[in-house]
Amino acid sequence: MRGPSHRLRFGAGVALGAVVGVWLAHGMVVQEQRDAATDLEVRKATVTLQALESLLQHGDPREVALGWRAKTPSVTQVRITRGTQLVAPESRRLLREEKPLYDRGQRLATAVQTNLEEGARKAEIEVEWLPGPRLLLAAPYEDKGVVEIETAPLPPPPSTGWLAFVLALLGAVIAFAALALVFGERRVQLSIAAAAVLGLALLALGRWSIAQVEDDRRAGAGALTQRIDEQSALVQSLGGAPGNWDVDEFRKPRPPLAAGAGRLRGALLSADLLALVVLFLAGLGAFSRIGVELRKNRQAYLYIAPAILGMLLLVFYPFTYGITLSFTDSNIYNTSKSIPEVWVGLRNYAEILGQFSFVKRTESGVVFNYLNFYWTLLFTIVWTVCNVALGVSSGLFLALILNTRALALRPLYRVLLILPWALPTYITALIWKGMFHQQFGVINQVLQVFGASAINWFDHPFTSFLAAWTTNAWLSFPFMMVVALGALQSIPADLYEAARVDGASRWQQFRAITLPSLRPALVPAVIISVVWTFNQFNVIFLVTGGDPSGSTEILITQAYKFAFERYRYGYAAAYSTVIFGILLVYGTIQNRLSKATEA
Amino acid sequence: MKRAFFFALLASGVAAAQTDLVVWHSYRAAEKSAIEKVAASFNASHPGIKVTTLAVPYDAFADKISAAVPRGKGPDIFIYAQDRLGGWIEAGNTVEPIDFFVDDATKARFIPSTMEAMTYRGTVWGLPVNYKVITLIYNKKLVQKPPATTTELVTLAKKLTDKASGRFGLAYWYSDYYYHAALQNAFGGRVFEGNTAKPVLNAPENVKGLELLVSWIDEGILPAEPSTALITALFNGGKAAMIFTGPWFLGEIDPGIDWGLAPLPKVVEAGGKPLRPWMTVEGAFIAAPSKHKDAAYEFVKFLTDLESAKVMALEGRQSPSNKAAYDDPKVANDPVLKAFRTQVEVAVPMPNLPEMTMVWSPATIMMASVAKRTIAPKPALDKAEAEVLKAVSELHRK
Amino acid sequence: MARSRREQELPHGLLHAVLIVATLATIYPVLWVISIAFSGRQTLAIADLPAAPRVVDRLRAVIPWPERWSASNFVSVMTDQPFGRWVLNSVIVAIFTTILGIFLSCTAAYAFSRFKFPGRRAGMMGFLVSQMFPGTLMLIPLYIIMVQVLGLGSTRLGLVIVYATTSIPFSVWMLKGYFDTIPRELEEAAIIEGASAGTIFWRIVLPLAKPAVAITALFSFMTAWNEFILAATFMDKESMYTAPVGLRFFVGGFSQQWGYFAAGSIIVSIPVVLLFLYLQKYLVSGLTAGSVKG
Repeated sequence: MRGPSHRLRFGAGVALGAVVGVWLAHGMVVQEQRDAATDLEVRKATVTLQALESLLQHGDPREVALGWRAKTPSVTQVRITRGTQLVAPESRRLLREEKPLYDRGQRLATAVQTNLEEGARKAEIEVEWLPGPRLLLAAPYEDKGVVEIETAPLPPPPSTGWLAFVLALLGAVIAFAALALVFGERRVQLSIAAAAVLGLALLALGRWSIAQVEDDRRAGAGALTQRIDEQSALVQSLGGAPGNWDVDEFRKPRPPLAAGAGRLRGALLSADLLALVVLFLAGLGAFSRIGVELRKNRQAYLYIAPAILGMLLLVFYPFTYGITLSFTDSNIYNTSKSIPEVWVGLRNYAEILGQFSFVKRTESGVVFNYLNFYWTLLFTIVWTVCNVALGVSSGLFLALILNTRALALRPLYRVLLILPWALPTYITALIWKGMFHQQFGVINQVLQVFGASAINWFDHPFTSFLAAWTTNAWLSFPFMMVVALGALQSIPADLYEAARVDGASRWQQFRAITLPSLRPALVPAVIISVVWTFNQFNVIFLVTGGDPSGSTEILITQAYKFAFERYRYGYAAAYSTVIFGILLVYGTIQNRLSKATEA
Repeated sequence: MKRAFFFALLASGVAAAQTDLVVWHSYRAAEKSAIEKVAASFNASHPGIKVTTLAVPYDAFADKISAAVPRGKGPDIFIYAQDRLGGWIEAGNTVEPIDFFVDDATKARFIPSTMEAMTYRGTVWGLPVNYKVITLIYNKKLVQKPPATTTELVTLAKKLTDKASGRFGLAYWYSDYYYHAALQNAFGGRVFEGNTAKPVLNAPENVKGLELLVSWIDEGILPAEPSTALITALFNGGKAAMIFTGPWFLGEIDPGIDWGLAPLPKVVEAGGKPLRPWMTVEGAFIAAPSKHKDAAYEFVKFLTDLESAKVMALEGRQSPSNKAAYDDPKVANDPVLKAFRTQVEVAVPMPNLPEMTMVWSPATIMMASVAKRTIAPKPALDKAEAEVLKAVSELHRK
Repeated sequence: MARSRREQELPHGLLHAVLIVATLATIYPVLWVISIAFSGRQTLAIADLPAAPRVVDRLRAVIPWPERWSASNFVSVMTDQPFGRWVLNSVIVAIFTTILGIFLSCTAAYAFSRFKFPGRRAGMMGFLVSQMFPGTLMLIPLYIIMVQVLGLGSTRLGLVIVYATTSIPFSVWMLKGYFDTIPRELEEAAIIEGASAGTIFWRIVLPLAKPAVAITALFSFMTAWNEFILAATFMDKESMYTAPVGLRFFVGGFSQQWGYFAAGSIIVSIPVVLLFLYLQKYLVSGLTAGSVKG
């Protein structure tokens, strides 16, 4: 089979890479310009609002505000409230539909109080976008009141057109076409030429864009200074004193507007790299190979497509969501912030994996710290291994017996034995917990019948584990039994005949025929049940509840606590991702060993 | 101009031909019928507004609200206890503040502590519908006169306890922090300092409360490993003479048991101050994304007025927060409703700060180890305090 | 031939003894559920002992037997709430989940078992990996996709899609393992005779894989049958709730009406038992069905 020529491939690669690189670069530049413009407008409006606030201490607030507004063309509306009273532009009680004003006053007053107690945590200046686009800024005023301004419609943000970007794209393609004529079908030369052409075009484009953005910044800094000067003059003319009005949402001074474009530079470089990757994928024939494979195996892909689509739909997004969250400090107080604002990189992972405090010194001596990650991990592994081993062996054992031909009452046994699977776990797990009660539980009663003394099952990590283990084994063996029963049907009878002719014993038959034949069906069941048991939240939660002292927690119950008790969503997501990583390593190794994915 | 137009749009929602309001609650059986009856009478008296109710199982309710409401898919009103209030406020776009709507006359309707439970950082967020509070329930066959003080309680309980045959004078879920709080509050204990989120689990008053519990355990009057299931079984089996529990328990008592209610006794060790249980207040909250907030507030007000309160009390067997309901002769003569009304006078609203959820796990471990006498009260409280403090500071870290 | 096997088998008496012990241990907690359900009370049972218990008293205390028998819990469960309707919803959702789950996983598993194509291993691992990310944080993203984006809130279809997708990974792995044990000679013979891939799959492979399909069916059904939190979160109409949602009304928050819950649990487990009774004929066909070469 002959694919397209090298020239064609690299040509397509340059074009594709250029499209990707240029498209990304344009998006980034426009976004950067829009962010910078937004930031600038908010800063200018904040200065304006602060100037007004500084004036309000001098004289009647309504008159001051109206007088100030008449001389401030950038502001179209001023409102001042005090509790349920409107103070400016007119003096009256707030109307029912002006509830948002009142709520804002309450919210800002709470923010000021909270920040006093807990440090800067809640915005003391609220910013809202109105259609126009116009800005609404509000700051707290006296007793649960607000002072808010609405700006005049803002100019559209400076935006770089497509021209330079299209030129870079065309330039790269034409330059490569010219070079391709020179180099012919020589692959090495072609690849160097393609990379050089694309790289140069994108780099030049990047330099040009950064210069644009920096120009905008300089202009912005000028506009901000101008606004400060204007307001200072106005405030002085009205009898007030200028101050440092360039502050952030917590009313803390902001650093001067800088002309740097460091973030954009990094982003553009990564876009360039991506473009080069696309170029080489296309140039070296990856895309055309994928196309060939898709066509060749279309029947297979057609068969798996529906299932894969369903998985992608329901798993891909939550998965991405979880992993992304794990790199943030997302918690209940900052759910409204964007991902970059709460980004903390690997901090959560470092915290989880860096817990080495195994013992704690207290007044009553040295105490083992059961809430340590590695203890919980160890316990989870022991829990999983024990449960799966017991579940598989007992399920298989019972299935072998039930598979005996002509054994009477088999249907009855089978139905009774799957009952633990049929009943809701919620009640059966609690029945088991009740059976382990130290005074009223039937297990201790039976122990006492046989003359043993009662055991306080939940007082010691080991006995507590035994209780949970028993419960989970009871809950999970029916599933394994059913799987094993099904798998036993796949073993051809003549294999046993042959073995018997050879004089093999029952045990030898089991080892040589039954086990290997069961493997294809049993291995997936084992792998899956390892995954499930590792994350078996219900049994631990309902039976031991972590008793004693959190020693029987497993990783998943810990993750749950971080998310729903401590409201640390990012940390809990990192915990979940660690669980996922551990299972992934297990799955990969197990898969290598068992070759379950082979045909 | 546009703003005024926006408001006009909002207001027109009320004036339109039919406003549909959806109310979510987690009531079942009689409580559910009572709220459905109130909704029906609201619909009858308010043409143009139609209220429909949806019962959600309690175990899924909080998650359902957190998932649906901020995305604008939830109800207009939901009824929930105050314990999650702070969390939903901080998460944002879930609960609408109604401070602006609530006038002084409306505020004066309610038992003051129930209104306090609806207030978070100085703002009112909902109106209290019902409250639930722990009180003393006793088996009349075993206890003729309920104890008025803890000394009497211990003496009586000792007399009625026979551990070998599993009979106990006093039984309650003492290893649960919610139940235990009555003891610590009697000494003036608290979880947070004032209205701030600073935990003070190891305050000296809390130590005294826990020491009182330990003295009761050492008297041998309490069953080991308590749980709601165990307490119910003991009381229904006639094996627990007195229990501390709330109104939720009444439906689980066997018909064969002759029982009575009494206020929790006064604590001699705390200078005669009464045991002060935590109260849970079910509030009606307006969902922040609701498009019919005015109508929703109308319903919330209706739900908490005198007539509705009487329906809730007499048919739903709930304890309404509306004070006037208890002047109604039928309510006043009802021993159950009267008992809870008496008890609520000394009850303390459970904190509604989001940080409260961080207290439960360390507190549960602390209570379990103290109940098993493996650690003394003071170090146990110190340990729990350290853990809660760590969790709170990790959440507040920037 | 089969008769000669009998001589080698273990004595049935011994097997019965083992099975009886295992069955008793298995149904003992179930008997407690039944005893609570029929007690007419709401209490989880405890061992009830007189003063100075003797061995007989202790033995009596461990036997799950209500003081008096009453069907009142069952009556209340069925009449207090539209429980019958909720069970019906569950049946509908579970049946469609089973059908969709089997269809999707059979086709995918067959491809994984019979075709060699790039991405096969990755695909298999992908299914497994999807089970590895803990579900605790999944509720909100799932809600966003199913209710906000797809608008499938308060529909049975939404639940069917979620449940079927949840059950697919295990089903695919299970079926793929089973398909691997079916000799390819049969299919090769059919290809020579000119049968299409579809015919081979439906007429030859699937009938031979009946035991695995039966397990897959039972598993998919159970996945849908017992799920609570998603059903309670996605459904905004009482008439659309499923049986597990209805059951949880009895034990939420402070009040714990275990008598109702136990009665409801028994009602809910009956369809599962019936399904198993029907499916078990595929799990017990002895050693003949697998013997395709003969």
